[in-house]
Amino acid sequence: MSTPILVVDDSAMARKMLIKALPSSWDVEITQAANGLEAVDAYRAGKAEVMFLDLQMPEMDGYEVLEKVRQEDFNTFIIVVSADVQPLAQQRVKEMGAIAFVKKPVNPAEIEAILKKFGVFL
Amino acid sequence: MTKKILTSDQRDALQEVTNIAMGQAGASLAQVLGEFVQLSVPQINVIELEEINQALAMLVGATTVVSAVRQAFTGALRGEAVAIFDQEGCIELAELMGYEKELTPKAEQELMLDVANVLIGACIKGITKLLQTDITFSPPSVMAKNMPIGQLMHPSTMEWKLALVTEVNFALEKGRFTCHLTQFWPESSIVSLAEALDKFIESF
Repeated sequence: MSTPILVVDDSAMARKMLIKALPSSWDVEITQAANGLEAVDAYRAGKAEVMFLDLQMPEMDGYEVLEKVRQEDFNTFIIVVSADVQPLAQQRVKEMGAIAFVKKPVNPAEIEAILKKFGVFL
Repeated sequence: MTKKILTSDQRDALQEVTNIAMGQAGASLAQVLGEFVQLSVPQINVIELEEINQALAMLVGATTVVSAVRQAFTGALRGEAVAIFDQEGCIELAELMGYEKELTPKAEQELMLDVANVLIGACIKGITKLLQTDITFSPPSVMAKNMPIGQLMHPSTMEWKLALVTEVNFALEKGRFTCHLTQFWPESSIVSLAEALDKFIESF
């Protein structure tokens, strides 16, 4: 069965870059969201076994999405994908429950290593 | 301001490239200041020369008194980066950088130049790396001190009529320091920028 994954970024270009960086043999069903509100809706609809989450976004940002998901059942692996490469940003999202932080522009090998580490993609 | 001088794909790519480059600039600033820097979503606008001060006032806040540093870049892509500092934030900047003595105008100027150099350097390097172009830049210079934002630019001295302007705001989580980093891409350089963006888009 395909893994439902959610790609959240206000930039269509950034979503495309991320999707291109996913392992080609990974059987996924991709949903895209352009802001945090759409992301939370898609998460509630069960479309996010794995969520790739940007931080700076209009409407609702990535920190708020983490907070919302944490308040609910937290049934997703969240990988934060951000241009904000400050060590403190990485520390914060991990404290909020993200399994990993990937800096932009994304590196396919790094994504694959994270997915394997957490057993999401074998 | 909805003139279509870039396609929506090019605009989106420019926004993402700016986001990545500004993220690196923000991390450099955080390192220098030892504080967490909040980054805004990049804004992209097309501005006509006559309305430039008005447009900047919209971005920065109409009542703001600012100081600003400019740095021109040339090469495959040409334009100008302008770092706009809020006046109150400048005093705080001195404290963060460890100035204990009274801040002389000369010291304040050096501080602004240093910070602008960190931000603009990281940002331009980020953009050139992503777009695989070569850019060289001139040394930074102070273009205004304690000036109402509505008087910052002097349209009569500008060599363009229309420019693409990208903007990101760097704000400290603790404190009032803010810096709006803007980049002006004059109309003559928009064609080469669009070409570089197309190559970038095609690579994904």
